[in-house]
Formats: sequence, structure tokens, C-alpha cells
Amino acid sequence: MNVLLKKYFQIFKTSFNQEFAYRLSFVMWRVRNVLQVLVALFLWDTIFSGDRNELFGYDRNKILTYVLGLVFVKAFVLSARSQDVAGEIARGEIINNLLKPVDYFKYWLTRDVSSKVLNLVFAVGEFFLLYLIFKPPFYFQENIFQIFLFSVSICLAIFIYFSILFIVNTIPFWAPELAWGGHFLITVIMVEFLSGIFFPLDILPDKFLNILNFTPFPYLIFFPLQIYLGKISGFSAIKGIFVCVSWVLILLFLMKFVWQKGLKVYQVYGR
Amino acid sequence: MRASVNNTVVVNGLVKNFEVTEKEPGFLGGMKSLVSPQKKTVQALKSISFNVESGELIGFIGPNGAGKTTTLKILSGLLYPTSGFVQVLGFEPWRRDQKFLKQISLVMGQKNQLWWDLPARDTFELNKAIYEIPDTEYRENLSELVKILEVEDLLGTQVRRLSLGQRMRMELIAALLHKPKVLFLDEPTIGLDVLAQQKIRDFIYDYNKKYSATIILTSHNMDDLIDLARRVIIINKGKILFDGKLEDIISKFAKDKIIRVYLDKSVDVKRFSEIGEIRKYNFPLVVISVPREVSAVAAAELLQNFPVRDLTIEEEPVEDIIRRVFKEDYIK
Repeated sequence: MNVLLKKYFQIFKTSFNQEFAYRLSFVMWRVRNVLQVLVALFLWDTIFSGDRNELFGYDRNKILTYVLGLVFVKAFVLSARSQDVAGEIARGEIINNLLKPVDYFKYWLTRDVSSKVLNLVFAVGEFFLLYLIFKPPFYFQENIFQIFLFSVSICLAIFIYFSILFIVNTIPFWAPELAWGGHFLITVIMVEFLSGIFFPLDILPDKFLNILNFTPFPYLIFFPLQIYLGKISGFSAIKGIFVCVSWVLILLFLMKFVWQKGLKVYQVYGR
Repeated sequence: MRASVNNTVVVNGLVKNFEVTEKEPGFLGGMKSLVSPQKKTVQALKSISFNVESGELIGFIGPNGAGKTTTLKILSGLLYPTSGFVQVLGFEPWRRDQKFLKQISLVMGQKNQLWWDLPARDTFELNKAIYEIPDTEYRENLSELVKILEVEDLLGTQVRRLSLGQRMRMELIAALLHKPKVLFLDEPTIGLDVLAQQKIRDFIYDYNKKYSATIILTSHNMDDLIDLARRVIIINKGKILFDGKLEDIISKFAKDKIIRVYLDKSVDVKRFSEIGEIRKYNFPLVVISVPREVSAVAAAELLQNFPVRDLTIEEEPVEDIIRRVFKEDYIK
């Protein structure tokens, strides 16, 4: 095997083992995810239980698919280990990794991928469990091109989230006491509300959605799911992908920039 | 300054300033420092210069906040120097060139590189991949290190379950698997009991001899340096006070000699104070310190006028001298 490949495969493996060291807390985290999905499933199911066929442009099938689809898309996009970096910086532990002959970003991207793989394995299991128990209607996208665009948008979303996380991670370079606060505000509150986890964003007023579409947040969850559901297709899908790519480039550049700045002011705390 | 071929480390006129934000206590103070931060510049290193030759084992000694760790962090590439020239193995450390990083290692007594929830073996395997160590070399290095440090049975134990001493030994293994040419050790014996300290010390000594690796260590544990380092750099408040052989500290700083007298019968202690400063009186032993120049005269006088059974003249212990150097530096 190629030396470089070996290097990152070993990082992947070690990170995977580490997640398994906390089996119980991982399982609890997945249980929490399932409960969230259950709540959303019941809520939307109740809303559509009358003779209402369509709401906000969603029929029962599509809205329940949206909710179930969240399980996958969240596992793909939002499961990450690199949120630990802020703590590493604040505690000064980052020095161990800074002095290793390995690219720091690629190191954490690899660890993120290992977290994503683990979460995906569970997500598949949960999906089938939910599917078997509740037999919800599920919309299967059959258009190959739509599925292709969906995969592309997921990949881009992974990079958007990675760079957002890393930009937030740099806060402790300047203010070590804000390591957790920054994450809570930006990656928990902002991402949860603005990415479409709580509800599909197109139930919001058009004006608001139009503004939101210029931010990177909808492209994390909402946009890929819309493509899967076929609600965004053709020209508007391509346009969306283009906006995604622009955000990836902007954020990655910004990430490298603040990271370099941060390292320069960093005083390697903890003695 | 031109670097000679033999110089692994070249430091010339190195200055490091830190910007520190002053924060008043309490919530209001915190808010205030957020709105209008009161910045203060702290000079951690005030233009220091020294060279280290390949294969040397040198010790940095100084009280807390002297600048020892800052120096180490700059040499290993963690901190950017404010000004001055720094070169390690021909590289500028702060660039953190991968070729440079593959040849060095930094061990900090208070920072773990081992993965806390996994057995130490997992971290070793990871380092093997990251440092691209070939299989056979890895196996040889590991089995040798594990044997010398006596941790054969602990490789599969979760790191969090290891004792501090065992963990420190594992940290050393993790840092040495890739056979670094330069090893930086920051307080390697901190928090360890005397026996564990000795084990680490013996290992460092042997490692330096066997692989002629350049080792730079900091410590405020005097024993570390007296046991290990042939060359010592005394640093305080960002300035180098002494750089040279341990023995030379004595000729440079020792003003007194120590006379130990064993008496035949008890004598009034006060009579000794005419000769020198009484350090200790515990019949039959009296310890007096006298200025170097007059030590012979003092000894003669003691032999003549006191019931002396035995008498020795000794140098002041190194740790006492160093302690005094720091104290005097504080007074200045």
C-alpha cells in the first residue's frame, strides 16, 4: 500500500477505535438521534392525518422522506470529530499534532471521515428499524442525474461544514475561554436552525429564504435533501451547486487564513 | 554568526515577546477586557545566544517563568521568534518543514501525546504510519525501547489506567520510535517519585550515549542536571546567566569553601563564628563556610585552636551555588 495512503488509513483506524472506546455514549447519542426523528415523524404524520394533502408544497410522502432522509444526511455531513480541535487549542494539546509530519487539516478530515463512517453504519440500521416498525411512505428518487447531483451536494456540504468548524475552532487562539461557547453559538444554534434540521426551510417566507440561500447554512442539509426529493432540479440545482462550490472555496480560503493568523498569535498555553 | 557544520542548534540574539491581556477579576472585569483590552508586552527572552553541537546533552535550568520552556517551544517550531536567528538541523523551526519534523521530537512532562482511551500500542502504530517508519525498523525500535523501559506487559493497557511513571515511559517511547536526531525534553521528571525519576534519567543518559542524539532538556529539578548534563545553561528572567560545564559553575560562582570539622569534645559554638559562617552544628560535626581565599588559613587556625579529630575542605554543592545565583539575580 502507498505510504501516504497507509498514513491516513492508520489515522482513520485509530480514530475509529477511539470512538469505540466510548461505546455507551455513542449509543446514547444515536438513541437521541432516533428520538428526534421519531418526534418529527409523529408530528408531520399528525399534521397530514386529516384530509390535508399538501402543505408548504410537501405531500405526506415527501415530508416523511425529508425527515427520514435527515438521518442519513446528518450522519454524512454533521458527524465530525474536528470540533475537538478548539479544546485541543485551549488546553495546549495541539502541540503534539503540530509537531508531527502530517498535514493538520488532512489529519482531522480523516478523523471526520472515520466518524462519518461509524455514524452511517448506525444510520443505516436505524433507518431500517424505523422503516420496518412504522412503514412510513418513502419517496425513492429514480432519476440518476438527480441522485448524482445529490451525491455531489453531500460532498460539498461535508467540506462546508468542515471549514465552518475549523474557522470556529480558531477562536481559542485569541480567547481560550471561548472554546465551547463559540461552538455552541455557531455550530449548534446556527447550524441546527438554519440548515433545515428542525423543519424544511421552504416553509419560511420567500424573502427570508432568499437571503438564507446566500449563506452557507442551507447547503449543509436542506439543499441536498431538496435535490433528492426532486424539488430542486435542472437549472436551479446547477445554480445551487455553483453557490456551494463558491462557499467551499471561500470558506476553505478563510479557514487557512485565520488558521495561519491564529498560529502566529498562539502562545501555546499551559506552561 | 555562521553556523559550523557540527552545530545542530544555532541561536543568536533570540528575542521573544508575548502580548498579555490584563484582566481584572470578576464578570465586570471580564467584560471590560473584552471591550477595551489592556495589553502588556512581556519579554520572555531578552536576546539569548548559544550553540549546541551534534550529540551534546545540555540542560536548561532556571526557576518558573525563566524562559526555559519558551526556548524549547521556539527550537521545536511551536512559537515564532519575535526577532533573532534560530536554526535547528539547518531548518528554521517555525516553518515546521516535514523533513525537519521527522528528525525531532518534543516531550513535555505535562502534555500527553498518547491517546488517552486507547492502549499505548495504538499511538505507537499511529506514529509508525505518520513518521513512515518501515516495519522492521519499527519492530526493532519498539522491542528495544519497551525492554529498556520495562513496559513489556503494559502495551495493551488503556493509557488512562497507567500510572504517571509508566505513562511517562510510554510517552518517551512514542517520541523516540522514529529515532529523532534532536530530542527536546521539557521537565521529563515532573511529578514522578524518586525511583521513577532515576529510571527516566538513566534512560536519557544511555540514549544520548548510544545513538549520539542531541538532547536538550529543561528542568527545575537540580538532580536531573547534575546527573545528566555535561553542559548547563542557567537562565533567569529571559537572560542567560551561565553557559558552560557544570564544574565551571563552581569556579565562576562559588565564593566560599565548606570546612567540615569533627570535634573530639564539645566546644562553645560561638567561637567558630570568628573563623567563618556556621552552617550547621551537630556535635561532633561542625560545618563552616569561609571565603575561598582564606580557607587554608582558616583550616590551620581550626587545627591549632580547637580539639579537632578530623577536618575536610570541600566545594560548595552545585545546587546551593545555583540557588544562590538565582537569589542574587532576584535582588539585583
